[in-house]
Amino acid sequence: MKVTSNVERLLTQVLAGEVWPPLGDRHGYRVDPDGRAFLLPGMGGVTLDIHCGDPATGYAGDHIEPGLSVRHRETAANYALQYLTCIGNRVVVSSGPAKGAPGFVIGQHAYVLVDMDGDEMRNVTTGDQVTVFARGQGLAFDDHPQIVVKNLSPTLLAGMPGGTLHDGRLEVHVSAIVAPEAIGAGAGMASEYANTDLMGAYDVASPGLSLGLESLRIGDVVALTDQDHRYGRGYRAGWTSIGLISTGSCLLFGHGPGPSTIMSGPSDAFTIVRDDGANLRSFDLNTTERQP
Amino acid sequence: MNGALAVKVNLLGYVDQGDFADDPYRIDHDGRPYVPVGDGGVVLGLRLGDSVFAHLGDHAAPGVCLVHPVDDAGHALVALSCLGNPVIVRTGDAAGSRGVVLGKRGGGKRVIVVFSQDVLARLRPGDQVAVESQGQGASSMLADVTQLNISSFALSLLPVAVRDGQLDVGVRGVVASRVVGNGIGRPMAMWDVDLQCPAPSRTLPELRLGDLVAITDLDGRFNAGYRKDWLSIGVVVHASSPQPGHGPGVTILLSGHMTSFSVRSEGEAHQGLSEERLLALVEDKE
Repeated sequence: MKVTSNVERLLTQVLAGEVWPPLGDRHGYRVDPDGRAFLLPGMGGVTLDIHCGDPATGYAGDHIEPGLSVRHRETAANYALQYLTCIGNRVVVSSGPAKGAPGFVIGQHAYVLVDMDGDEMRNVTTGDQVTVFARGQGLAFDDHPQIVVKNLSPTLLAGMPGGTLHDGRLEVHVSAIVAPEAIGAGAGMASEYANTDLMGAYDVASPGLSLGLESLRIGDVVALTDQDHRYGRGYRAGWTSIGLISTGSCLLFGHGPGPSTIMSGPSDAFTIVRDDGANLRSFDLNTTERQP
Repeated sequence: MNGALAVKVNLLGYVDQGDFADDPYRIDHDGRPYVPVGDGGVVLGLRLGDSVFAHLGDHAAPGVCLVHPVDDAGHALVALSCLGNPVIVRTGDAAGSRGVVLGKRGGGKRVIVVFSQDVLARLRPGDQVAVESQGQGASSMLADVTQLNISSFALSLLPVAVRDGQLDVGVRGVVASRVVGNGIGRPMAMWDVDLQCPAPSRTLPELRLGDLVAITDLDGRFNAGYRKDWLSIGVVVHASSPQPGHGPGVTILLSGHMTSFSVRSEGEAHQGLSEERLLALVEDKE
């Protein structure tokens, strides 16, 4: 049975954001797992040709942010944008040559990350304004009081397979199950902000690094074992958090492709089903409508 | 940098006050709000040897945290200050008093310094403190083991010795990398790693400030990250935290392949760093 929720009580807040430039410092280099220096593209700007459903790894990049990287110039307004935006929320480009083009939120990474269908992303660049129709924080499932929901838009929920089972558990389809050893940078931060980097998916052949996560894709729904992300991201044996991968390749050690968290609860509140189709690309978000 | 001489640099830090946002509350791992006490600043009544779970605090350190108002200068202060570095108070009622660096805290923002309790009581946020930094880049005791965040002069304070081509280290306990929370993925010259241990456990008995702890499958040479069969050893520099993903903090001192180490888990018998031994480094200068 499809999960029922308090969706009819949720409000939509219209938020302004701006495509933020990639940032550097005058030293340029960062350090890979073996202590070698690297300088690669990744965060900020508009990253083309990597979309939901594409591999998360295999790029010569660091902290790859697919699509548009969006924030707000003012600190407090930016927190509003980062905290309230949910995965699957509708986005519209509000200035520049792509004005009116639609997109959808795929995650948070201290920026809101926006994917777009078609070719119009090529016409978007740093400084372009976007509008986010934020809806989802406060979402709660009627029959799963132990599961706390975050960053999950009703649109994404409607598209996800699974639901409430006869035994009372919530069935969630995931494309990968992640061990707690993989949890990297992002531990200890608020669950509504940025994401959890997963280690063990580096594009370097160095002993002892792999945790079998090299085949993750952007948009994959994953289960994080022994993680309680209800009120911030932390380790807790016997708990499970569900996330959605929104960032890709990292060379910076202790970092990697990362999920934003969408649910957390005791492990026995979930039935986890392995399903290669558990990817945002496979869900019908109905986001292609162009803004008049 | 084996063979090269480690460089000493005099740094200036300021006694921290501790920061709050507009809202007094933080949220613990069960969603309960709490007011964080002792998260930075001058903390009285918490000493090396105390249990990390004994007090109601959040990341409370045994002594004082030093900061710098200019971000870049603060990063240098944190990156270069090492366990065992002598400090001297330059201004305020405690001017002339000496203390010793214990370790550092997350964000590249805070150096933790141990003073005697009577000096601490005379310190005031904003007081200037000079740190005679030395240690980063110093030769390691064993070529295959990376040593960081400790002055050459302080190694003798720790239960660490080279035996049969390995580093023999006595620790309070051994924990797995999966419990490492905040600090993972960050440069270990500028951060500690928090252990997500909300209470004493079978593998980790009563953890005390100043203890040595070994973390398995953690490579802490540069950024901290998972690497199978690697070991990182550090000193416990601050007490526990109710925040999810946080907990008692460890400043990493040694990291290498596990075969380079012989780790003795000493449990209750472990003697961590004591205030007396640490402050003895500066006593003859009083």
